Amino acid sequence: MESGQSIGGGGAESTTGIVHRSSVPRRPIWPTIDGPIGLSDEESLSYARRFFKFGFLLLPWLWAVNCFYFWPVLRHSPAFPRIHHYVVRSAIGFAVFTVLLGSWALTFAIGGERLFGPVWKQLVMYNVAEKFGLTGWY
Amino acid sequence: MGRLLEPQNPQHRLSPNITTIASIVYNETSSDSIWDKLKGALLNSLAFVAVITVTTFILVLLFYFRCTKFLKFYMGFSAFVVLGFMGGEIALFLIRVFSFPIDCVTFVVILFNFAVVGVLAVFVPKMPILVTQGYMVVIGMLVAYWFTMLPEWTTWALLVALALYDLAAVLLPGGPLRLLVELAMSRDEEIPALVYEARPVNYHDVDPRTANVARTLWRGRNSGSGSGSVEISDSNSSPEVWLSDGGGGEGRETRVVVVGEGQNSEALPELLAPLVNRELEGPGTRVDCGGEGNASMDGWAIEGIGLGSSGAIKLGLGDFIFYSVLVGRAAMYDFMTVYACYLAIIAGLGITLMLLAFYRKALPALPVSILLGSFGTRNAAHRQIPLARAGSRLGRFLRHEQGRALARARPRLGTSKAYFGKGESPTGGMGKEARKTLEHALANHAKARPMDGL
Repeated sequence: MESGQSIGGGGAESTTGIVHRSSVPRRPIWPTIDGPIGLSDEESLSYARRFFKFGFLLLPWLWAVNCFYFWPVLRHSPAFPRIHHYVVRSAIGFAVFTVLLGSWALTFAIGGERLFGPVWKQLVMYNVAEKFGLTGWY
Repeated sequence: MGRLLEPQNPQHRLSPNITTIASIVYNETSSDSIWDKLKGALLNSLAFVAVITVTTFILVLLFYFRCTKFLKFYMGFSAFVVLGFMGGEIALFLIRVFSFPIDCVTFVVILFNFAVVGVLAVFVPKMPILVTQGYMVVIGMLVAYWFTMLPEWTTWALLVALALYDLAAVLLPGGPLRLLVELAMSRDEEIPALVYEARPVNYHDVDPRTANVARTLWRGRNSGSGSGSVEISDSNSSPEVWLSDGGGGEGRETRVVVVGEGQNSEALPELLAPLVNRELEGPGTRVDCGGEGNASMDGWAIEGIGLGSSGAIKLGLGDFIFYSVLVGRAAMYDFMTVYACYLAIIAGLGITLMLLAFYRKALPALPVSILLGSFGTRNAAHRQIPLARAGSRLGRFLRHEQGRALARARPRLGTSKAYFGKGESPTGGMGKEARKTLEHALANHAKARPMDGL
């Protein structure tokens, strides 16, 4: 089964000129991980940009989704320079945020009361939940 | 629908600001007689189905007046509530049970991320498919968890009532879901609802210029008018066979070829034959397959049951929720009921999909699976598990008796190679007395537990 090239009685056709690299005679490379059913090139750029900008609202998970979505861009970086720009920055942002959050969480969990003193008891989640009655629903 | 219900479990302390619709008529307590429980359960489920019907009709009305923005906003809002509040509840419960030392800042950040990206997965039309699917499953799970907190008889009555409602709402001419489907198809719009969309079946790489028009991928359409794939017997015939009554048939076959060349993107909508399972957020679920009347679907249906305007099978989230409720209820008995229930539901879903391919119209997804699932669970709980337990007990007993008989036989025979010679039966090496003991034990046990129904 050929990829979207000329097939059967279709005759010579021009495939998607955008993503098709002339050096790669085989299948075209799609910017999204969904492949041919994913986004087109222009849409990809706008999505990548929007995800990157929204991620600054304390949403590292959105950055991670961005990287996941445009994984082929990370792999074949020369083909999509503009998308690559945003995706790489999202990846860096996600990594930085994860390191910070993870180190804080680990310090909290491992240090415990020895490190924090009585504040630990006030910060830990199950106590906070009890205090605000968040677990009182059932 | 799920947002309105916070089940109130009478065994736990009551929270005054939480009401429940599912138990609005009757609160089941364990001390009631069977007849009372039955009556109460039926009344509860009738009330619930009534509420669902009213809600679905309101939804149809809103869709009719094209309040799509409001509906989408409502969907996003309910997704946020489910993921943020219900998900947070369950996470807190787990944290408390396992005394997980997470602090509130980290917890809030993680929950916020989870919920917001979930809302985006609902709103944004082109999120990664895996992410959207994952979030749909999680939403279904969370709502189902809350549903399993209903009392037992109410749950079973509710499931059966909803299966019947589904049947009526989808197949009867006045049913709300049927109206919704017909509206959506006549306008060629998508119903704004939470649906799980399976990954479109992909046979060819698609020209991205046509990609957003058709997540519809027709096998063999790129191969021109005549030569389809070998498995589809229809496609080798002349084009007008498979371009049926959709109107304006002239020049259709050229469209096929042109589509194959990837140039003519506006041709595709006419070839679209949505074959979708749709459903609203409510339990009025149905498996929907609507033909735009453009093509005979026999060949395609076998190949690509997942064809549709977005090229995929869609299963409504209500279906997911009530399947999960069924499995959750089964899980409250034993592990084996879970397996039996799961297999029954999957079988039901398979049957429904086959019927979908056969009838090619909107079909309810709940009834078959719930019927099979309920029977499977009951059968497992009341027949299979006691049988399996008895069987394993008998096996243990027999092994025990055999061991004893062997131990008694050993001193008589002296050397070890006297018994268990080649080809001998296990009891062959035993003395007569030992064998008699064993047979006696067997007979007794068989008498004590008559295994009828095996």
